[in-house]
Amino acid sequence: MLREKGTRFLVDSVGAEQARVLETEVAPAQAKAREKMAAGFKTVEPLEYYRRFLKENCRPDGRELGEFRTTTVNIGSVSTADGSALVKLGNTAVICGIKAEFAAPPPDAPDKGYVVPNVDLPPLCSSRFRSGPPGEEAQVASQFIADVIENSQIILKEDLCISPGKLAWVLYCDLICLDYDGNILDACTCALLAALKNVQLPEVTINEETALAEVNLKKKRYLNIRTHPVATSFAVFDDTLLIVDPTGEEEHLATGTLTVVMDEEGKLCCLHKPGGSGLTGAKLQDCLSRAVTRHKEIKKLMDEVIKSMKAK
Amino acid sequence: MPGDHRRIRGPEESQPPQLYAAEEDEAPDPRDPSRLRPVYARAGLLSQAKGSAYLEAGGTKVLCAVSGPRQVEGGERGGGPAGAGGEAPAALRGRLLCDFRRAPFAGRRRRAPQGGGEERELALALQEALEPAVRLGRYPRAQLEVSALLLEDGGSALAAALTAAALALADAGIEMYDLVVGCGLSRAPGPAPTWLLDPTRLEEERAAAGLTVALMPVLNQVAGLLGSGEGGPTESWVEAVRMGLEGCQRLYPVLQQCLVRAARRRGAATPS
Repeated sequence: MLREKGTRFLVDSVGAEQARVLETEVAPAQAKAREKMAAGFKTVEPLEYYRRFLKENCRPDGRELGEFRTTTVNIGSVSTADGSALVKLGNTAVICGIKAEFAAPPPDAPDKGYVVPNVDLPPLCSSRFRSGPPGEEAQVASQFIADVIENSQIILKEDLCISPGKLAWVLYCDLICLDYDGNILDACTCALLAALKNVQLPEVTINEETALAEVNLKKKRYLNIRTHPVATSFAVFDDTLLIVDPTGEEEHLATGTLTVVMDEEGKLCCLHKPGGSGLTGAKLQDCLSRAVTRHKEIKKLMDEVIKSMKAK
Repeated sequence: MPGDHRRIRGPEESQPPQLYAAEEDEAPDPRDPSRLRPVYARAGLLSQAKGSAYLEAGGTKVLCAVSGPRQVEGGERGGGPAGAGGEAPAALRGRLLCDFRRAPFAGRRRRAPQGGGEERELALALQEALEPAVRLGRYPRAQLEVSALLLEDGGSALAAALTAAALALADAGIEMYDLVVGCGLSRAPGPAPTWLLDPTRLEEERAAAGLTVALMPVLNQVAGLLGSGEGGPTESWVEAVRMGLEGCQRLYPVLQQCLVRAARRRGAATPS
C-alpha cells in the first residue's frame, strides 16, 4: 500500500520516465528500511516478535510449528575412540566419543558392567558457559542421559560382563557440545545412539592359569543394541502453544520445555519436564504422537548411515 | 571419580584393554623428515561464537572458538603514555584468556575431563604465542576469550591449536598484526639427531625431544617456542627451529585461502 502511494506521488511530482527510474531505486531502499525496523523490533520486544510469527503458524526461520531442523549424523570420525558420532541438528552440534576400559564389577551387581555418560558444555559452544567444573545445565543433561540409558535398556549391562565378580567392561560415553543453539537433549541422545552402534569391542578371554585377561585387538565385535531411544523436545509458549525442536532463542523465550524419549513399538522410555507451564492431557497426547513420527524419521536416518558405513 | 559428585559415578579405577593385549611392534614408517601432512582448515563454522576455526592435519583434529571482546571491570586508571596509532596505554590494554581442553577420547588412554597441569601449561603457551599478534591496545579494558578443543590427538597438537586459534581470531574480526602459524617437531632417540617435522602420534610417543614453534609469517618473527626433552648439541636445536620456521611458511598459503573462502561465504550469506 505504501509503495503504491509512493509511486503515485512520484509520478505526480516528476515526469513518468524519471519516476520509473526513481521507483527502482526507492523500492530496495524501502525494503532495507523495513528489515532494519524488523531487526530493531526483534531486539526490543522479542516475545511480541515471536508471537506475530506464531499467530501465522510458522517461525522466524521459516519452519512450521511441528517441523524439525535438518539433522545430519556422521559416525566413526574420531579414530582414537572406540566409537564416535557427530550429530548436527540445525546449528546445534554434539560429538560423542566412547572409550571402553576394564574394571571390577560393582560389588552389589557382580554380573553387570558400567555405562558412564558425561555431558560437557564447554565455553566454546556458547558464551554463557564458563570453564571449570560442570554447571547446572551440564549436570542435568548428564543425569538425563543416564536415565535414558537405564530406562530404555539400550544395552544390557549383563552383556558388558566378561567374568562375573572379576572383570567387566566400562563404557565411558563423553558427549561434548560444540555449538549450542537449543535442543541439546535431542542431539545428545541421537549422538549417543549413533556412537554406541559404532562401538567395536575386542575379544577378551580369561586365561585359566594366570587368571589374567587376554585381549585380541584384531577380532572386534559390535555391541548388541537392543532398543533405539529417540528424544523429541518441545517448548511451550504462553502456556498454550507447543513448538517442536526449539532453537536457543526460542528456549529462552519459552515458558516451559518438555522432552519425550520414545522407543520402537511406541514405548515411552523417559519423560523430562522440568517445571514450567502445565500441559493438558490432550496436548501431551499430541506430543507423544509427534515423538512416534520423529522416532521413525531418526531410525531411517540411522539405518542409512550405518549401511553406508558398512558398505565401505 | 571419588568425590566428584557433579558427574555420574563410574568405577573407582579402570584400565585400558591395550595393557592386556599382545605386544604389537608398531614402528613408525620411515619418511621424509621435512614432510608436512596435508592440512584441512575451515573458518566460521560455529554459530554461537564470534569467530571459529577447525583444523585437521593428519589425525589431529582441533576446534577453536573466540568470544568477546567483553568489558572487564577493575582496570587501573590512566597511567603511562599512549601507544602509537591511538592505542591505549599499557595499563589499560586488553587481555587474552586462553583455554585448552582435551576431549576425554582424544588420546590412546581416556583422560578424565578435569584436565590438570598439562592443559594449563598448553593454555599458557597458547596465550604467550598469540599475544604478540593481537593488537590488544585497541581493546582497552576488554577481555578476549579463546577456547581450543582437541578432538583427536594425532601428533603436534599444540601447533595445530595455535594455528586454529589464530584463524579463529582472524575470523572474529579481531585486529591483528599477523596470523600465527604453529609447527611441531620431534627427535627420535638415538645417536644421530634427525629432527622430524610434523610428527605423528607414534613418532611423538617415541621421541626423545619435542619442539613447537610459532611464527608470524609476514613479519617473519617468532611468536612462541616451547621445547623439552633430552639435550643434544646446540646446533641440532638451531637446525630444528629453522626447519620449523620453514614448515610454518609453507603452511601459510593454505590458511590465507581458508580465510578468503570464509569471508566469501560470509559475504554471500548476508547480501546487504
